[in-house]
Amino acid sequence: MFLPELAQSLLSGVLMGLIFALVAVGLTLIWGIMDIVNFAHGDFLMTGMYLSFWMYSLWGIDPLLSLPVSGIFLFFLGVVVYQLIIRRILGAPMLIQIFATFGLMILMRYVAFYFFTPNYRTIQHTFLSGSIDLGGIYLPVPQLAAAAGAFLTTGAVYVLIHRTRIGGALQATAEDREAAALMGIDTDRMFTLAWGIGAATAGIAGSLLSIFFYIFPEVGGIFGLIAFVAVTLGGFGNVAGAFVAGILIGVIEALAGHFYDPALKTVFVYALFLGVLFFRPQGLLGVK
Amino acid sequence: MKAAVLGKRGRYALHGAMLAAAVAYPFVFRKPFPQDLAIKIFLFGGLASAWNVLGGFTGQVSLGNAIFFGVGAYATAVVQTHWGWTPWVGMVLGMGVACGVAFVIGYPCFRLKGHYFAMATLAIGEVFSTLFMNWQWVGGAVGVYIPLRDDTWKYFQFGTTKLPYYYVTLAFLVLALLISEGILRSRMGYYFRAIREDQDAARSLGVSARGYKLSAIGISAMITSLGGGLYAQYVLFIDPPSVFPMMLSIQVVLLAVLGGVGTLWGPVLGTVILIPLSEFTRIYIGGTGSGLDLIAYGFLIVLVSVVQPRGILGFFRKGGNA
Amino acid sequence: MKKTWRMVYVTVGVFLWFSAFPAAGAWAADPVRIGAIYPLTGPAASTGAEMTDAITLAVDIINGKYDLDLPLARTEGLPNLKGATIKVIFADHQGKPDIGQAEAERMITTEKVAALMGCYYSSVTTTASIAAERHKIPFLNPESTDPKLTERGFRYFFRTTPFDDPFAENFFQFLDDMKKKKKVKIDSVAIVHENTSFGMGVLVSEKKYAEKYGYKVVAEIMYAEKATSLVSEVQKLRASGADVVMPASYTADAILYMKTFKDLRYMPQAILAMDAGYIAEDYRKTLGKDGEYVLSREVWALDLAKKKPMIATVNEIYKKRFGRDMNGNSARSFTGMMVLADAINRAGSTDSEKIREALEKYTLSGDNMIMPWEGVAFDAKTHQNTKGRGIIVQLIDGQFHTVWPFELASRDVIWPIPAWDKR
Repeated sequence: MFLPELAQSLLSGVLMGLIFALVAVGLTLIWGIMDIVNFAHGDFLMTGMYLSFWMYSLWGIDPLLSLPVSGIFLFFLGVVVYQLIIRRILGAPMLIQIFATFGLMILMRYVAFYFFTPNYRTIQHTFLSGSIDLGGIYLPVPQLAAAAGAFLTTGAVYVLIHRTRIGGALQATAEDREAAALMGIDTDRMFTLAWGIGAATAGIAGSLLSIFFYIFPEVGGIFGLIAFVAVTLGGFGNVAGAFVAGILIGVIEALAGHFYDPALKTVFVYALFLGVLFFRPQGLLGVK
Repeated sequence: MKAAVLGKRGRYALHGAMLAAAVAYPFVFRKPFPQDLAIKIFLFGGLASAWNVLGGFTGQVSLGNAIFFGVGAYATAVVQTHWGWTPWVGMVLGMGVACGVAFVIGYPCFRLKGHYFAMATLAIGEVFSTLFMNWQWVGGAVGVYIPLRDDTWKYFQFGTTKLPYYYVTLAFLVLALLISEGILRSRMGYYFRAIREDQDAARSLGVSARGYKLSAIGISAMITSLGGGLYAQYVLFIDPPSVFPMMLSIQVVLLAVLGGVGTLWGPVLGTVILIPLSEFTRIYIGGTGSGLDLIAYGFLIVLVSVVQPRGILGFFRKGGNA
Repeated sequence: MKKTWRMVYVTVGVFLWFSAFPAAGAWAADPVRIGAIYPLTGPAASTGAEMTDAITLAVDIINGKYDLDLPLARTEGLPNLKGATIKVIFADHQGKPDIGQAEAERMITTEKVAALMGCYYSSVTTTASIAAERHKIPFLNPESTDPKLTERGFRYFFRTTPFDDPFAENFFQFLDDMKKKKKVKIDSVAIVHENTSFGMGVLVSEKKYAEKYGYKVVAEIMYAEKATSLVSEVQKLRASGADVVMPASYTADAILYMKTFKDLRYMPQAILAMDAGYIAEDYRKTLGKDGEYVLSREVWALDLAKKKPMIATVNEIYKKRFGRDMNGNSARSFTGMMVLADAINRAGSTDSEKIREALEKYTLSGDNMIMPWEGVAFDAKTHQNTKGRGIIVQLIDGQFHTVWPFELASRDVIWPIPAWDKR
């Protein structure tokens, strides 16, 4: 009885962790490339969730199909946010940047509140339902699909950053803005792109999450905070790091809930986070 | 700034006039609502100034000042409910505990720079909130009810008049400003700024960076904790979500940033603008429950940071750094 | 000279015109102002909207003419105050105790309200009622269930709803009844509760009565409302082997629990919930079929209309206007407004001391309300309504059906809950 339960907790933790990972990837990208903390990241996620929800309830489009739409829409939203707000505060102190994205967070959250009401919503009937029975361990199909989608998207971002020319330019910009500019890289375009991709991944994560999680205007806060922790754990700007950290957080929450008190599971996540900060501030996979 | 134009005597006159206006205010505005508004401004002004000592003067952006607020509030409440002591003792005790907590947090965290320090304090704040939620001795999630009493200075409760709260919180703000002013003028303030501008350079000149940062967080924590104690006495009921919220940690930063970080009057100016704004928007458009008030609030924050990133005080200054 | 005379005429005319007002009666009276403080933004905003809608409807019924067996329905306004109407001023406390208190003070001093009501969240009701007590303004609380609220012995605080402690006892009376009459075997219960004061209070009461009635508590699981995953919690439930799971959850977590139950194909004999999230409209809407068969303590159910047709009538009006059915929360807020207005009418004055006295002497028969209670009468010391009682409902086919007490039941209880693969 003990072992299957543990396996269940672990597997569920991994599935949730993959979603955390995808949310964190977008955040770490923006953070790493331009050294800006985006407090509104969770609310990009929320926007993706609502997009999928409305496409489902108005036109019956399954979240799996609306996923690209939400990715593209969020890409443009990210670009607009960069052009209208972030571009103007690039040189400002860190505090101002916190201030600006924090304002954006409140703005997005309550615009959603105003138009969509505070009601909780879920998408009831997707292509996927039920759960797979592995001898007493149950893996819900929607979560499996969402985790798989998160895995693929994170992989795609990784390939984009590490295996393509654009990715090389992004990395160069992240390392040294001025040097990159001297090498003929249009850093402004790179920043725009980083915001586009960062927001798009959050949008995709939102669509995936909407398959099995409830949706309400403040849902971004729940995932945004976890994404921060994942980004720090993984090392700022480190896509692979955020991926590992996301899964790790999912697993730790599950294990702490399993072996200890579920009410205190977040404390364990934060404890790990602080431990890494103090003893390995470059992050788990970071090199310094 | 104006003060520079006025000269020393003019500055004293200006400050005296402001203080006199603050003392006279409740006799002009007799209703509890404007008085409550002023009390909030004094309280948050003090909290923002306290944050400013650490985040503005020393450049260590703390996103966890709610920890100290909560510690102060709990100390003040618990000494009454558990031992029947007066809240004044609780406030002093709270300041001591908060200072100790600040050292314990500061010692490891000050090795971290920039975002890392900010995120660490944010996480510690969440840990404190969760721990208090589960700590039954201080009421856990249920919180602490401070028993109601008739008007008394000993237990600092006044049901029929707000004047005592008004003057005590005013004194709290003045105290926070005096401490800030004192630091700015002293050698300590000079070192604080040296650490903010270039920590390594400061250290190479023989400044003990960690020592000065610890004093900054200690001072910041004590003032914040006192504010928490006053809040507990004012509301008479505290629970972890009301005194350890992450929003509070962030709000004090917003107030300081809005007014102008690292300046003496910036945090106060930010408070004078933002607190009434959020109160009025809540009352006049919040009653509809549509969230329009918060949309306006968020929009304003974005606008300020894009248009005048040095804070409102930036409008009065030419050059210089915020 | 002419000019002077003209001024005299005008003055006299104006004087007569004004002095005619009181004689003209009805519309001359100022409306009676009542402050209602609810969570209009924040996590509970959707529940807040249900309750403020119900209050709006109650005020319409009081101010207008309706053929209903409710107090003040058949007359326009408050007859004992020359037909004065009720005017409600809503305020948003955002779920924060300090804002609730500040809003209460603003209501009393700036808006000059005669009485206050609210605030749903027990923590906010606590602080807001402190303000009312100090300004000596009556405060009627229709829907907070923290036992501490009436234990404080406030003079101006009145609560119409029954609270968590007696509800917890009802649960075990229900289980005893089930054992006796339906011959089911129930030995153990598991208590699942969120970690704010609501969940903690429920835990204390349920543990107390479990012991008194001889049931074993095999698991006590506390969790945070904003959890992203509840898998470990559900695992612990499964491992405990409890016959009955007793949750105290808000909306988001109630939804997530049922989804996780389904994902992990877990189902105890019964889920016996302390209302809140499990009776929220959003719970029913979002989960659909998956949320069914849950048992919840309630203060109200639509099918009580079989015994009280008026419930259906009021619900029709509510549904037509706001697009959804009433529920336990909105029905309690509605009743709270009715009682408060009726008490003010009986006081015949907006003087706070007179209203307080009227509330202390207040009695209302169960026939004149949409609640299944025996009526309203406040305890002399605690000001808790002593005539309230709970019912137990079960969600079947998208509707809550009263299943206990058996004499009020409109349907037989479905026990045990069908397993997930047998639906």
